[in-house]
Amino acid sequence: MLRLRFHGRGGQGAKVASRVLGTAAFLDGYNAQDFPLYGAERRGAPITAFTRISRDDIMERGLVSDPDIVIVMDETLLLDPQAMPLSGLKIGGIVFVNTPLSPLETKEEYGIEDHVVTLDITKVSLDMIGKPVLSSLAAGVASRIAGIGEGALKGALEKELSGIISDREILGKNTDAALHCYNALVPVQVKTAETIRERDNVITLPFEIARVSSPAINATGNTPLRKTGNWRVFRPVWNYDICTRCMTCVARCPEGCIRLNEDGYPYADYDNCKGCLVCAEECPVKAITKVREIHSRSEEGDR
Amino acid sequence: MDTSTIISIKELPPEENMLPGTAACAGCGGLLTLRYCLKALGDKIIIVNAAGCFTLLTIYPFSPFRNSWLYTAMACAPAGAQGVRDALDILIKKGKLDPEENLKVVVLSGDGSAYDMALSSTSGAIYRNLDFYYICYDNEAYGNTGFQHSGASPFGSRTGTTPPGKEVPVGSQLQKKNLFDIWNSHKPPYIATVSPAYPVDLMNKFKKAEQFKGPKLFISHIPCPPGWGFDPSRSVRLAKLSVETGLWPLKESVHGEVEHTYVPKRFKPVEEYLKEQERFSHLFKPVRQEDALKSIQEMVDEYWKKHEFLP
Ligand SMILES: Cc1ncc(C[n+]2csc(CCOP(=O)(O)OP(=O)(O)O)c2C)c(N)n1
Ligand code: SF4
Ligand code: SF4
Ligand code: SF4
Repeated sequence: MLRLRFHGRGGQGAKVASRVLGTAAFLDGYNAQDFPLYGAERRGAPITAFTRISRDDIMERGLVSDPDIVIVMDETLLLDPQAMPLSGLKIGGIVFVNTPLSPLETKEEYGIEDHVVTLDITKVSLDMIGKPVLSSLAAGVASRIAGIGEGALKGALEKELSGIISDREILGKNTDAALHCYNALVPVQVKTAETIRERDNVITLPFEIARVSSPAINATGNTPLRKTGNWRVFRPVWNYDICTRCMTCVARCPEGCIRLNEDGYPYADYDNCKGCLVCAEECPVKAITKVREIHSRSEEGDR
Repeated sequence: MDTSTIISIKELPPEENMLPGTAACAGCGGLLTLRYCLKALGDKIIIVNAAGCFTLLTIYPFSPFRNSWLYTAMACAPAGAQGVRDALDILIKKGKLDPEENLKVVVLSGDGSAYDMALSSTSGAIYRNLDFYYICYDNEAYGNTGFQHSGASPFGSRTGTTPPGKEVPVGSQLQKKNLFDIWNSHKPPYIATVSPAYPVDLMNKFKKAEQFKGPKLFISHIPCPPGWGFDPSRSVRLAKLSVETGLWPLKESVHGEVEHTYVPKRFKPVEEYLKEQERFSHLFKPVRQEDALKSIQEMVDEYWKKHEFLP
């Protein structure tokens, strides 16, 4: 049996990707299971979804804690303690990472010992669909890695996406983008050991009574420590040559994370800016531009 | 708080009483509303939060607030507020709490709670003249559990439980409840509708409400990017459109007397607002549902005719 785990951000389409993969496997003659994990978080926050594929009956239920294949749809998740996508990965497992880096660079950057496959699917999605929505593309790469046939993937895309996307043109673009990703990867052999790496494994919490398990928070204003800045796909960048210091962006930011520098010009706290780009949309003189976040090389872009 | 009115966003108080890093979606119009409300209310408050998206603002061990916060089930935040208010009053009366330490009691809830589940406990609280603020961020559905239809969902919208289909192509067939009028029939001292796109109006309404003891109620119409289906960057734009098309009238009521605080000079056609959202896309594609679009426009026109802002 192959066990896959998808790690994405709310809105990127991890849930749909696992579903398309499950259906593709089914159409290819396998038994399949797919389901997401709904946590308390929202669009932009870490999301997990699972797929099991097997020629035999699947009697296993519940979360996949020891996957053979991990699909990382947003590379910032690799460093996010809330997501920990590599936890429980079987030795010899395969990690797909959505990044502009090569597999070797990715292994070094994130200290991954297992087989790494990479493709900048965000770029493919922006180029081919026009939006950073990754569901069909992630399903494409996952199908390739799991060894599902191209025809089955096509059938699954049609079956699953037509219920969600009413516009035939957008549906077509999604299918093309998915097949592009499928064919951009070379087939791999998935041969995992039954053992997992002893690090960062899923912790099972014991049952506690309500007094212990629903604790009070006695700190104030400490959410900035959560650093939601890695939710971004695009970052706002200010051009002070045209900024009139009108304060519109400061007022309009839903997060309240735009501050003023010594000269009274606004800047974002990039540790927490979620990249909604309301500021750019509302700036009356268009002094804020939208720049694609390339996470593994983003440091120099900071103020 | 200084109760003089402000005239521009430059005069918004600089203090941030809600910090970034919350779990709310990027571009959440409710979060923007709350940020402004907390600028107006200050940090000597206690928020009694009905279950909904905003219960997730505070997740152990993190809180974005400088103030206290208490979580209740959906139906009972106003009852929780009564308990907190009574406790504060008793402690002050017994000399166990310095009156300086008194807190304003604030209920925060989504529309599912405000329009549906907690309506009876809210009615009770208004009836008892409970001294509190009530802020409802209205995303027109039960956002936190998957955007199901609520008493605030508008006619013609797609929600998780009103998907447009062959039988009912229009989506929701029901009209949004008029919570403002329901509240107003109780004649509380102060009620207002607000919008995250009009922070100056919002701020001045909170300043005005300050002078009243008793229930002070606010409903904010808030764009919800995942629920409504639009790019988060368009959040403020959509909030503006709901006001500019006349769909969301900005008004207040003092002891039952209603006044509009902003009337668009020229009303934009509602279509401009509807066509930007995935939840109304079925009204345009694959076939335009003329009757539905016309009836939405007529409903808006009738409202403004009744209030003599349209001939
Ligand atoms: C009495 C009760 N019923 C159901 C729930 C489950 N529940 C939690 S949040 C939620 C949706 C709340 O919707 P709304 O009040 O509109 O707020 P939003 O999620 O949009 O912020 C539901 C149904 C609950 N917490 N309490
Ligand atoms: S909205 Fe634009 S012009 Fe105004 S302060 Fe911000 S960047 Fe400058
Ligand atoms: S993109 Fe702009 S408005 Fe959005 S969170 Fe970042 S700074 Fe604030
Ligand atoms: S679902 Fe909507 S209302 Fe809830 S946090 Fe997200 S944007 Fe805000």
